[in-house]
Amino acid sequence: MNSLFLFHLAGLALLGLGLFGLVQRKTLVGMLISVELLLNGAGLSIVASAKLTPADDVLGQLSSLLIMGLAAAEATLVLAIILVVLRRFGSVETDTIATLRD
Amino acid sequence: METLAFLAYVLYLAIIVGGGFVAVTNPNLVRALIGLVAAMFGVAGMYFLMNAPFVGLMQLLIYVGAISVLIFFAIMLTRPPAGGEERATSRRRPLAFVAAATPVVLLGAVCLRAFKQTVDVPAETGIKELGQGLLGTYGLAFELISVVLLVAMAGAVLLGFKRREEA
Repeated sequence: MNSLFLFHLAGLALLGLGLFGLVQRKTLVGMLISVELLLNGAGLSIVASAKLTPADDVLGQLSSLLIMGLAAAEATLVLAIILVVLRRFGSVETDTIATLRD
Repeated sequence: METLAFLAYVLYLAIIVGGGFVAVTNPNLVRALIGLVAAMFGVAGMYFLMNAPFVGLMQLLIYVGAISVLIFFAIMLTRPPAGGEERATSRRRPLAFVAAATPVVLLGAVCLRAFKQTVDVPAETGIKELGQGLLGTYGLAFELISVVLLVAMAGAVLLGFKRREEA
């Protein structure tokens, strides 16, 4: 059990929690919180892999920054989409908004 | 790993798992957001522990500072009149557990077998090297992420507009 696997373990914990929440949550906001957990785990695993193996360290840290930027863009867009869905359906529960067309 | 570092690791892991558990199970979305912020703090601690202070600070700035505020806005703007509670979901829990456990077990097996650690103490990479990489080798990714952020911002503004005939 080396420290690389320990850091990967933390990333895996975030992955598992995020997937669990993504399936189990019933509102779009709850699913957004779960996706942020998933992205955090991905960044952690990438930096750990770059730091503790011969891989390029700069590449790992910059990939993690890229993930943070993508997460910010995704959160912005999801906020706008949530507002549009709320205006259109009056609710953000996934059971209510399951119709494609009516 | 030395004893003190291991203790710090266990502390951060406990914060991550505890916060993440609150984030995915608490029916009150505001409390779930607090759990998410705790988990993000734990991840920032992990970055500091593996000698990447710049990424750790960016984690604190971007995730804890900006994204949590965005999610808080999403919660506040969608809050139904009768409290922001989610209904209890007992039926979906076992399926969700299976869906989460399968990739974790598979990827955990891969991580345990495939990756070999070669560096004991991670070397520190200065901000200077990071900046040179950002503007030199990985300049395209840097430009692309700025375009993505710009497009996302413009798209969010466009989606947020109410059409005049609706209003």
